[in-house]
Amino acid sequence: MKLELQKGSRSRTLAVLVLGIMAIFVVRLFYLQIIQHGYYSGLADNEQIKRLTIPAKRGLIYALDGNKPVQLVMNETVYTVFADPQTTKDDSTIIDVIRRIAGGNARSDLQGLLGKKDSRYQILATKITRTQADKIKQEGLKGIGFQQESQRVYPEGSLAAQTLGFVDFSGNGQYGVEGKLNNRLLGHDGLLQSVTDVSDVPLTIGNRNINKPAVNGDNIVLSLDRNVQSYAEQALAAGLKRTRATNGSVIVMDPATGKVMAMANLPSFDPANFGQVQNAADFNNPTVAAPYEPGSDMKTLTMAVGIDKGVVTPTATYNNLGYMNVDGITVLNGVGLGNLGVITLQTAMNYSLNSGFITVAERLGDGSNITLQARNTMYDYFYNKFKLGQVSGIQVTGEAPGTVIPPTSPQGNAVRYSNMAFGQGLDVTMLQMSAAFSSIVNGGQYHVPTILAGVLNTNGVYIPQSTAAAQTTVSRSTADQVREMTHVARGTLFGRNDTPGYEVGGKTGTSQTLIDGNYNNSQTVGTYLGYGGDSTPRYVIMVQVSGKNMTLEGGRDAGPIFTDLSNWMIDYLKLQPKG
Amino acid sequence: MSYQRTSQYSGSRRQQNWSRNQNTVAFISSVKLGPVAHTVLVALMITVLGLIYLTQATRATSYDYEAQKIDSQIADLNTKKSDLEVENARLTALETVKNSSVAREMTTASGTAYVHE
Repeated sequence: MKLELQKGSRSRTLAVLVLGIMAIFVVRLFYLQIIQHGYYSGLADNEQIKRLTIPAKRGLIYALDGNKPVQLVMNETVYTVFADPQTTKDDSTIIDVIRRIAGGNARSDLQGLLGKKDSRYQILATKITRTQADKIKQEGLKGIGFQQESQRVYPEGSLAAQTLGFVDFSGNGQYGVEGKLNNRLLGHDGLLQSVTDVSDVPLTIGNRNINKPAVNGDNIVLSLDRNVQSYAEQALAAGLKRTRATNGSVIVMDPATGKVMAMANLPSFDPANFGQVQNAADFNNPTVAAPYEPGSDMKTLTMAVGIDKGVVTPTATYNNLGYMNVDGITVLNGVGLGNLGVITLQTAMNYSLNSGFITVAERLGDGSNITLQARNTMYDYFYNKFKLGQVSGIQVTGEAPGTVIPPTSPQGNAVRYSNMAFGQGLDVTMLQMSAAFSSIVNGGQYHVPTILAGVLNTNGVYIPQSTAAAQTTVSRSTADQVREMTHVARGTLFGRNDTPGYEVGGKTGTSQTLIDGNYNNSQTVGTYLGYGGDSTPRYVIMVQVSGKNMTLEGGRDAGPIFTDLSNWMIDYLKLQPKG
Repeated sequence: MSYQRTSQYSGSRRQQNWSRNQNTVAFISSVKLGPVAHTVLVALMITVLGLIYLTQATRATSYDYEAQKIDSQIADLNTKKSDLEVENARLTALETVKNSSVAREMTTASGTAYVHE
């Protein structure tokens, strides 16, 4: 059949009109669907496709209890309760329920908050537990919502606070391990991109869905032993109370591995309430962040240099005048006159006589002067072998390098090095001193200090970290001789307080502090650096006490804290007495 | 173009039919369908196929809701597990143990004896 329309007929006009309209539709659709395709599909995607972040869980931090990891820092889900004052009904019931269930976590002025009817969001309670949130939900209150968030919790309270650090309100680690290992602890957020329904439920339709799972942060196991840490803090607190010192620090280290078993400081803070800390200095970890002049603890290292270079032995003698002249400067023994005349270096060690160790420095030179050669030798040992004056890389923030002035510096003269021989004129951290001394009691083998023991894998299995290779500081013979010297030194003045049957050694340190560029005798820092063990040294302990305008001594003030902790360590490690 | 069979060829009747490009079975229906009926049938088939597609797509979406529900349950259980772990850690913390009634009843060991083999 052939359809024929007459020219000018209404049917023909209608047909032309319909075709014209259809043509307009076609052109318009072509424009919208082909030319504007990208624009409109983008608008549709924005509406239909949601990109949801899958938050990674921050890694947990563990300590050790013997060889078993125990949680020190965990994550807890808490809830913020908020109200939309424009939709709430029966405010008195809401106030009653929130106060009854949230308790101290509820805001004080609930009536005022709910009365702000021009607002759509008012926080009524913060940091309530899941159980509390469930109870409030069961009340079926209208206009009440919940916001879920994760916060750090500390089952052991403020234990090792400065070592751990804290996580700030934006979720970043600050200070301590939290700050230093923030990237490892953070993990990586995942991504879920999908077409969703109105309730944001992801649907499988669409061909551009992405499901990238979150990678949780590492669960880190520290080498801190929570029992040792707890007792170290307890002994330190008792020691500060006894001496009235305002500041104190303790490090306990395993000399065979360089692993830190305890790192305690006072004053401390509660990491769960870090916002309440008045003095930001309390966040610092003085064992790594506060270099100081170590005083007579340094004599052990000076003696090691002398023995290792073959210029002295423990029984070598010198004439003790109670002072020494170095380049026209008189350097006193510092502990009053005593043991004058010809004495051994062991005696000088026992009574901490500065002159003995200036003598060692001189014998490293030409015998009567601390020559450039002597200074070079001392610097080589102190800086390159014992690693003083440089950061160790331990896994906490704020580590300071300290200062060991080289002989090439104009300040690195003989007087400077005579002072360095007995622990003044250089700045080191307690960590550096403990690690260097550990190498002495460990047969001359230095381990880089670490606070990491390993990780917990995704199955919760503890994977210990292997110990890094040791570096030789001095020969075994030298190390054994110096160790024995400290054992004898301790036995001479403090050994009566040690548990019988064990080998315990140590050295006192009392150092003047620099105030306005001058050494001040009315403000001294007391330290004690020692070791203990059975057939082999099992621990190194360093104690430091200080206070503004306080004269604190190593033997009198820091020593008893060492003794207390050392005797406890012997019991804790179940060491058997010799013979 | 004309086609000429070769003289060697001697096949069956069916083969002869193939060679002529003709159907081997002829069926003539008594029902005659016109163009409108064909159009309606095609439209119906498209509609049925569309319905099948929609049914399957909806079924897949219903699985999404089930999966979402299970995911929520897993998340909820994980939260509960974490809360219990925190509670366990608090109950076994040193301070808690030290202050427990059991610990308060304990006394310090008076001495330790060692046996050497």
